[in-house]
Amino acid sequence: MVLSCENELPEILRQVDIVNFREAMTERHEDYEIAFVEGSISRKEEAHKLRKIRKKARVVVALGACSSTGGLNCLKNRFPMRYLQEEVYGRGAHKKKAFDTDTVRPIDAFIHVDYYIHGCPIPKKEFLSVLTALLMGSVPKITNHPVCVDCKLAGNICVFEKGKTCLGPVTRAGCDAICVTYGGVCWGCRGLVDDPNIGAHTETLKRYGLTADSVMDSFNLYDRCAIKRKR
Amino acid sequence: MKFITKTGLKALVTGLIRDYKVYGTVKKDGFPAYGEITDAKQLVLLQTPTHLSAKGFVFPERETLLRFNMEDGSHKPVVEAADQVIIGLHACDIHAMLLMDRVFAYGAPDANYLARRAKTLVIGTDCMPDEHCFCQSIGTMHATEGFDLFLHQTKNGFAIDVGTKRGAAILRKYTKAVTAAASEIRNMEAFEKKRAGSFKTRLDAPAAALPAIYARSDASPVWDRIGSICYGCGSCNNVCPTCYCFDVRDEPAANLKQGERVRVWDACTLEEFALVAGGHNFRKPRGARLRHRFNRKFRYLTDVFNAPFCVGCGRCIRTCLVNINIAEVTNELIAEDAKRGIIDETVRTKKAER
Repeated sequence: MVLSCENELPEILRQVDIVNFREAMTERHEDYEIAFVEGSISRKEEAHKLRKIRKKARVVVALGACSSTGGLNCLKNRFPMRYLQEEVYGRGAHKKKAFDTDTVRPIDAFIHVDYYIHGCPIPKKEFLSVLTALLMGSVPKITNHPVCVDCKLAGNICVFEKGKTCLGPVTRAGCDAICVTYGGVCWGCRGLVDDPNIGAHTETLKRYGLTADSVMDSFNLYDRCAIKRKR
Repeated sequence: MKFITKTGLKALVTGLIRDYKVYGTVKKDGFPAYGEITDAKQLVLLQTPTHLSAKGFVFPERETLLRFNMEDGSHKPVVEAADQVIIGLHACDIHAMLLMDRVFAYGAPDANYLARRAKTLVIGTDCMPDEHCFCQSIGTMHATEGFDLFLHQTKNGFAIDVGTKRGAAILRKYTKAVTAAASEIRNMEAFEKKRAGSFKTRLDAPAAALPAIYARSDASPVWDRIGSICYGCGSCNNVCPTCYCFDVRDEPAANLKQGERVRVWDACTLEEFALVAGGHNFRKPRGARLRHRFNRKFRYLTDVFNAPFCVGCGRCIRTCLVNINIAEVTNELIAEDAKRGIIDETVRTKKAER
């Protein structure tokens, strides 16, 4: 998503030097001030690397759902590790160091995170607004209202009115409700708002025909880590 | 009163499309909504309210207020307004727009709103209440001003109230209107009579009594109860035709040289609405936010503008996923208040309130 900012990248490169960008360049430099960190943490060596980044960077920004909330990867946490290792890497894998994998955590389970860019994928405009705010020396604005706001601003008909269900009322907006706008529903990829009314939404989902298990499944898809922490 | 046939309305809409941006009531995914009309066939005059109100046409959900240049410190106001027509507003929506007109002209007049409003023609239409409409209890059931034309659907066509000279002019220019026959007017009156008897939602006290009742209800247990089920999702604000709060943000371009100041709709039921420097929040609990919103509708703004700021359209009731119902809550407060046994003057003076 960062690389798809074609129109803005030349302007951005006039303001900053990109010194380390594994997906886009081979050269690497370890002297940086702002670090955008993608991905969740599931191995000890990743946690070690993350702590090193925190020591070097003045500002750490979690980039994307995996990094910010753990994302889909957290689904793994509902199974025993040994089962997972054998399922993915074959029998006896849990004994091998190369397949050493642990519970999945968002990066703020290990280090202090200054700012978050949520979503899977992240919205381009949110990345640009956080970056420009940091360069201007102002505080980046991280949306903390439910997707319902973005839906109304987009003029969408509520999916509940169409007899479907979604996680919009407790999910952090900032995505312009793009999934609903294009005929889908909100799956909660941006994680929960700071103060979600989980109890009310559980009741609503049940009222719209979901069972207790399917209610938990929908919360767990992107938010297993967050829900667990809140309880 | 004038009259046009159904074909006459088609001619009017087709003519308007040639010269204006035309918006009107349509079916979106099968649901009543406002949308752009590029062909007269798209217009569906609806009997029940749309999901969102028409406020976005005069007060867009997001608009640029000025463009600035950070290199030389210059800035230029942006006022964007095009000639437009909105077709299909009901009486409650027209009352709401009249209230918005007063709000945006109050204090420092809002150039953007007023420019857009001056270029907007309003064509209203009659309606039939659904289970959540309660304009009858508020006094917004009929509109006598605030529209250019008002269409009453009759058996053979439309009996038309002409509200302004601009309304008379478009009627002359684009279609052939005749004086409405007595039978059409009788038809219209019969419909209005049926309508007046069709309201299922009512407030149990006159609108003029509500400011005082709300003033005595700050400590009501109602607020905690509805606060516990509220999402704080802002939907009630965003669908409301009289909620006008907005946030203003500066958005620098990626080159950090130019930028735009934009305003976007804000909502008092959102967690960050009353958040100030230092992380202090005046209305952190959801119940306190709802109490504020309801008081804005029936008390605070009534003090300033001497009119309730709820027009009884019922949109906030329909949109609420946890069924928080402003009419039911108000009736509960009225019942609680009656138990207090205070004999009250229905219209209190401002002095008494302060």
